[in-house]
Amino acid sequence: MEPRIGVFVCHCGINIASTVDVKRVVEAIKGYPGVVHAEDYVYMCSDPGQELIRSRIKEKKLNGVVVAACSPTLHEATFRNTVSQVGLNPYRCEIANIREHCSWIHTDRDKATEKAIKIVKSIVEKVKLNDELLPISIPITKRALVIGGGIAGIQAALDIANAGYEVILVEKNPSIGGHMAQLSETFPTLDCAQCILTPKMVEVGQHPNIKLYNYAEVEDLSGYVGNFKVKIRLKASYVDWSKCVGCGVCMEKCPTKVPSEFEMGLTTRKAIYVPFPQAVPNKPVIDRENCLYFKTGKCRICEKVCTFGAIKFDEQDEFVEEEVGAIIVATGYELYPIEKIGEYGGGKYKDVINGLQFERLLSASGPTGGGVQRPSDRKVPKRVAFVSCVGSRDPELHKPYCSKVCCMYLTKHAMLYKHRVPDGEPIVFYIDIRSDGKGYEEFVQRAQEEEHVTYIRGKVSKIYEDNGELVLLAVDTLTGEPLEVRVDMVVLGMAIVPSPAVYELAKKLKIQIDANGFLTEAHPKLRPVETLTPGIFLAGCAHAPKDIPDTVAQASAAASKVLEMFSQKELQHDPMVATVDEDRCSGCGVCVTLCPYGAREIEVKDGKRVAKVNEAKCEGCGSCIAGCPAGACQQRNLKDEQLVNMVKAVLE
Amino acid sequence: MEGFEPKIVAFCCKWCSYAAADLAGTSRLKIKPNFVVIRTMCSSRVDPEFILQAFLNGADGVLVAGCHPGDCHYVNGNYKTLRRVMLLKKVLEQLGIDPRRLRLEWIAASESRKFVVTIRKFVDELKQLGPLRLEAGDDNGSNG
Amino acid sequence: MKIFYYPGCTLKTQARNFECSAMEVMKLLGYELVELNRWNCCGTVYSLASDDLIHKVAPIRNLVRVKEQGGDKVVTLCAMCYNTLKQANVFFNSDQEARDKINSFMDTEIDYEGDVEVLHLLTVLRDEVGFDNISKKVVRKLNHIKVAPYYGCLLLRPSTVAIDDAENPSIMEELLHALGVETIDFPYRNECCGTYNTVSAVDLVIDRTYRIVGLARNLGADVIVTSCPLCQFNLEVRQKDVKERFPEFEQLPVIYFTQLMGVALGVPTERLGFELNHIKPKVLMEL
Repeated sequence: MEPRIGVFVCHCGINIASTVDVKRVVEAIKGYPGVVHAEDYVYMCSDPGQELIRSRIKEKKLNGVVVAACSPTLHEATFRNTVSQVGLNPYRCEIANIREHCSWIHTDRDKATEKAIKIVKSIVEKVKLNDELLPISIPITKRALVIGGGIAGIQAALDIANAGYEVILVEKNPSIGGHMAQLSETFPTLDCAQCILTPKMVEVGQHPNIKLYNYAEVEDLSGYVGNFKVKIRLKASYVDWSKCVGCGVCMEKCPTKVPSEFEMGLTTRKAIYVPFPQAVPNKPVIDRENCLYFKTGKCRICEKVCTFGAIKFDEQDEFVEEEVGAIIVATGYELYPIEKIGEYGGGKYKDVINGLQFERLLSASGPTGGGVQRPSDRKVPKRVAFVSCVGSRDPELHKPYCSKVCCMYLTKHAMLYKHRVPDGEPIVFYIDIRSDGKGYEEFVQRAQEEEHVTYIRGKVSKIYEDNGELVLLAVDTLTGEPLEVRVDMVVLGMAIVPSPAVYELAKKLKIQIDANGFLTEAHPKLRPVETLTPGIFLAGCAHAPKDIPDTVAQASAAASKVLEMFSQKELQHDPMVATVDEDRCSGCGVCVTLCPYGAREIEVKDGKRVAKVNEAKCEGCGSCIAGCPAGACQQRNLKDEQLVNMVKAVLE
Repeated sequence: MEGFEPKIVAFCCKWCSYAAADLAGTSRLKIKPNFVVIRTMCSSRVDPEFILQAFLNGADGVLVAGCHPGDCHYVNGNYKTLRRVMLLKKVLEQLGIDPRRLRLEWIAASESRKFVVTIRKFVDELKQLGPLRLEAGDDNGSNG
Repeated sequence: MKIFYYPGCTLKTQARNFECSAMEVMKLLGYELVELNRWNCCGTVYSLASDDLIHKVAPIRNLVRVKEQGGDKVVTLCAMCYNTLKQANVFFNSDQEARDKINSFMDTEIDYEGDVEVLHLLTVLRDEVGFDNISKKVVRKLNHIKVAPYYGCLLLRPSTVAIDDAENPSIMEELLHALGVETIDFPYRNECCGTYNTVSAVDLVIDRTYRIVGLARNLGADVIVTSCPLCQFNLEVRQKDVKERFPEFEQLPVIYFTQLMGVALGVPTERLGFELNHIKPKVLMEL
């Protein structure tokens, strides 16, 4: 195509014109090869300015446009839209940044003008070789995968399902509900966690648009945004759930007792079990690790007592494949293991427990029916210490970050303990109190002033057992006094850490995790629920420690991002992707190793290895192009030749 | 070397360093006009060939600027850039071009001041090195 | 096998029992502790006073002596000496500029390259001799004795020089179990003994001693075992003052781990320097 380029130089009022002699720019560029028209105008982005460009395109039969104005970040889209209105391909329009990169940062008018001319020339060189492009269209499978069935996954799944789209929900445990199901009451309103969560769990279980795979894990993922293929492992439960009616006789008769995960080891469950009475689905699984039959080859009592013939010891793990267009990762958190805190006994003192264990002690459905009893001897503790920042905010030994919820739940714990044991004495040890949510500070003040919870600012340096009591050594940093406090029980506000399986999952999904193992968002401010991999979103504590309201909000935000995608007919993708000259390509595969998105692959074509580009996956970074030893790869509208010509133009 | 004004080609990635240069403008910071920015999507798009072409066509210095390590918009493009630039510096030495004429900097979108300081220091350094003379070798360089 | 041994001042005076018992024990285990020639003060008093570079010269010069005498590692008994020498070594290896300066402070010595390994006897026993091998040499049954292991701070802090997990150490327990004695779960084992406050703030040290020794006794210990002469002094000698203040207080012997090893391995008691212990560990001496 013979270039017929028009150059439009903007004054931007005096923003450009005061430092750059725009008339001189116009004059200088007029004779430049390929330029058939050049003129200036005071505000090119104004309606008359845009109209000027449109009419000149028609009059002068322009097939390329350079607008010399502000940064392309501001008006590239504007002017590309302008030119397309009169039939010019938008990718034949480029912006020469002579404001931010020239008039605003220089003072010498003469030199600034010379520089502006160079900038315009380089952009003219680019436009000369720009191809007419169309955005790449990608079809979308309008089904979502949600990984993790805690409150984040539940909320996201319900939002998408209620909007009318199918959701595949994968939960690794026998039941959905996550950690929220373990909580007694929630701060700052003291709502009963189960009362607000159970209806949502039931809704998930019954929703016609939600396909729940409980006791299942994501095995593998392939494909790309809009077109993922996910392989799911359905772990053998050894119970035929279609036959099981949930009568519970098997659990009653099973002879093997195992510490209950749901009850945080405070009580036991059987080897065939439902994690908790409100479980969804309410069907048991056999824990292969602990089942007597699997260990010794003898027992099978559950099989004998099941009148429905639902037990099947020969079951194997199964795999299913699902196609989805978007994925939400909501794999949640664990508590940092108490074994890592040597100075607090490292787990050897029975009455030093973590926050989730205390939740179970407070819970009406817990092992004590909601009565606070200490684990060692079931006595009602008369003094309880609550220690915050255990493992958090400790960059040297443990985790550098703040776990966000401990200040608040320890306050809630102290308050609820006081409600259960009115003559009890709760003592909270803290570094700072972080009460930054709605109603949170008021809640802490209520604990201090109305409920008479003692707050001591100081980190506990040691906990040990002496004569059936626990001794805490600390310093009150407000008075500077060393303290030795004797209590009956200690509750530790352990750091929140990502669910350990997230590392493997992140590798399968090709999403990033940060130094602490949390999933990385695409942008900390402006893209907080997206990952850098298009089509994969995140929610809840898998991303960072957060409380229930923030988790629910983020889950809904992730769901709305998915719905935004699903509301489109097809996905549009920037066409400035990599291309391959198959005649030049030697099939060496360097590009395959360089591509961070898995968009490059080697294909055998007529007996010759050649590199391919998956345009839907290619994000257009260009690292494969610079790395191609044969010069066989190019980037659309940012070809080597264009860039070299641009370099030459600025050095003329 | 009185009056010598070095010419610099600055390759900036769209997401971080180009945005930092934009911010320098928006903040009305002042820089010497010795450089022109060429925008690529990622610093890893910068083929060593472009840098050699710049030197061949009269540049006294080339700046490659990208996102900080770990912050790359394209996951890890800047690490590839780092490797390429390190290698190219060795090649430049072989060609008799002082490797200080090629600079790699990590400039985040918020670091407009770093952009300004980088250019200022680069200009100063290139003034010390003097104009690039290709035929005779880079006499002013340390290995000249 | 020979290992260079850096004694330090206290091992030649107050803590001669630590030195002589260690020598006896190591001989039995087939090792010879060769005292470094021309050693000087480890430098601890200075380095605590300020962080000026000159104060690193004393410890580094000791390490130069090791090189001069053909060694590449040196073992200490005193926890304070261990800490001072090791910290100086870590610092020396982390700062090139400091390294050059320290070397230039020393005129007559060869330049130090930072390549001497500073060890404490406990780690030598664990890593070179092996607790299993020690266990095999035990000739006296001590399973009726309950021991409170006391680490103090200098073997464990800061983390750059620690010989074990600062919050949950186990090396001394492992050694004691190899010797066949029972250990108590002693929460104060890594608490501070009061150190040099024993000179200027005696009351503070008396209070520490009362708590530490008192808890060890409450938990059923017959003897406290330590590896630091200063801890040993504070915990043992200060018991007299504790007794004056708290008449109900019952004394407890405080000995070096090497002395207990000596008993277990069959070294005649009179060669273990118990005469220097103010509170005699009768339970060990009457075997």
